[in-house]
Amino acid sequence: MANYEPPVTDYDSIVENCTCAFCGCNCDDLDYLIKDGHVVGVRHACRLGASKIMEDMDQRLMVPMIRGEDGELAETDWDTALDKAAELIAGAIRPIFYGWSETSIETMHHGLELGELVGAVLDNQATICHGPSLQAVQNAGYPISTLGEVKNRADMCLYTGSNAMNSHPRHMARYSTFPRGYFRPRGRFDRTVVTLDPKYSDTAKMSDIWVGFEQNGDYEFYNAIRAVLKGKKLQKEFISGIPKEDVEELAEAMKNVQFGALFFGLGLTHTLSKQRNIDIAIQMVADLNSYTKWILMPMRGHFNVNGFNIFMAFETGFPYGVDFARGYQRYMNGETNTIDLLTRKECDVFMVIAADPGAHYPGGAIKHLAEIPVIQVDIHWGPSTEIADVVLPGSFVGVEVGGTSYRMDGVPIWMKKAIDKPESCRDDEWIIKELLERVKKIKAEQGALASK
Amino acid sequence: MTYVDKPAIPKVVKFDEPNAKLRNKLDVMLNTGSDIYQGACKKRGSTLKDEYRKVAGVAYMDPKDMAKLGVSNWDHVKVISDWGEVVVNAAHSRDAPHEGTIFIPKGPWANVVVSPETYCCCDPTYKGIMCTVEKTDDDVLLMADLMRAVYKKYVKDEEGIKDLATLGEMPVYKKL
Ligand code: SF4
Repeated sequence: MANYEPPVTDYDSIVENCTCAFCGCNCDDLDYLIKDGHVVGVRHACRLGASKIMEDMDQRLMVPMIRGEDGELAETDWDTALDKAAELIAGAIRPIFYGWSETSIETMHHGLELGELVGAVLDNQATICHGPSLQAVQNAGYPISTLGEVKNRADMCLYTGSNAMNSHPRHMARYSTFPRGYFRPRGRFDRTVVTLDPKYSDTAKMSDIWVGFEQNGDYEFYNAIRAVLKGKKLQKEFISGIPKEDVEELAEAMKNVQFGALFFGLGLTHTLSKQRNIDIAIQMVADLNSYTKWILMPMRGHFNVNGFNIFMAFETGFPYGVDFARGYQRYMNGETNTIDLLTRKECDVFMVIAADPGAHYPGGAIKHLAEIPVIQVDIHWGPSTEIADVVLPGSFVGVEVGGTSYRMDGVPIWMKKAIDKPESCRDDEWIIKELLERVKKIKAEQGALASK
Repeated sequence: MTYVDKPAIPKVVKFDEPNAKLRNKLDVMLNTGSDIYQGACKKRGSTLKDEYRKVAGVAYMDPKDMAKLGVSNWDHVKVISDWGEVVVNAAHSRDAPHEGTIFIPKGPWANVVVSPETYCCCDPTYKGIMCTVEKTDDDVLLMADLMRAVYKKYVKDEEGIKDLATLGEMPVYKKL
């Protein structure tokens, strides 16, 4: 048994109904316990949410910094740091503004204007996680519902390529599996949980059915289910390592529910067939809908990664990887996405806002970041700080500053402010707005010079 | 405490695999992805600390594979793929059995060995990488040291990286 941890009783005030700023579940029922202007306890959050909100102040970025000739970061004042960043951005030929998923829609708004002005590529974490899902949605449709509907109606929840217990710990508890819903009064007992995953993951351990097909077997497996749904006989004895009788049994079970929800994660997007896996999963859901109601939802990782895609799709028509180099928006998979631009060594200035490419990009892409100037706007000292040349400390959306975010099912949620930010930090929104002003000024000067 | 200094891993005592020969090198498939310990530590911001090295610089392996290599929990192994090589801790996986595959949580250590190939669809291949694992006496580097050793962005003398002092577990910068 783990050590018992007594509840936190030493606090000054409680701020109720805060929204968690971690994963795409955007749990909006958290209570923060505040003492001396710091969050000392979080109620209702999972381990992930609580650990992020009760952050490690040792590594909080407190002051703007610029890297000197000797390769060491040195503290500086806001004016100098912003001027330096603006100068880099204004002088860039192929800048990328990457990140945005852990900041507010309000910040993205100014970011988009800045991107348009300098002809940048705007991209977010979808490019390394659910990008293929968005492509598949463009190919094959988007049979989605809200999580509230899942909670009230679903009698089968199917997780595929997603380890919800590790990456969205309250997803099952709050939206899909355990809560009592209007038509599911007994909660967990009224639902069947299925996990499709090569690994016997923590989510699989909690499921009624675990189908452990082979690695990279997703595409074949969904196709087999589709074939069975269409009344075909399976020719092979084993489909991706699963006996064909089991495939038929699963297809039959999926047909005979009242409302099924399929949640898929990076297990589908990161294996070899990438967006084709999701194409086929969407078509499987379409096939199932000729028997009963099924929906499908990507398990989005960051609390506002969906927000950026919705915001960009609304503003520019494309969800991510939007290239303004020609003065108007273009979107071309494999060409205007961050990883491809970096491995082709095209980018010459990289700005990262509320993201950590140092921790999440493949080494082959980071190698190019080591050759070009990197501007970082973030709240913690992370792997990206080790390769950053200008560091601008932002503030914590959902704790120190309010903002809008979109949950994984596309429901917008206002995240409120609970405590004050450290005095030397600035809001992300203010930083991007300042950069925009300064870049405009530089461009105007250049324009005046050129006309002379 | 909302975090742990290292992940809870099962201690599998049975090491003898009657049919397995002890070997120096193992061909395995590497998967990466998120893990609750890694997620909590990363987002808390403690990426410079030893804690992060323990939760993200670790290869979760099947007990049988560990027996074949003759490594036990927290021994060091070197993972080599076409894209690079990195030293990580070995640990028994709580999702075993999955003989022939290893799992490294996403993070700077996994990044060194995953493939940046997107096959024209924006997303690198983070899962299903063929690689080899071997036992080693080299140390698992702290995050800052790893970033310096692999990407060498601000290193003048690339040969001498090994002899440089560690960057430590706290932010290093010049104050005003
Ligand atoms: S499930 Fe996600 S949103 Fe909810 S508390 Fe946990 S980390 Fe936060």
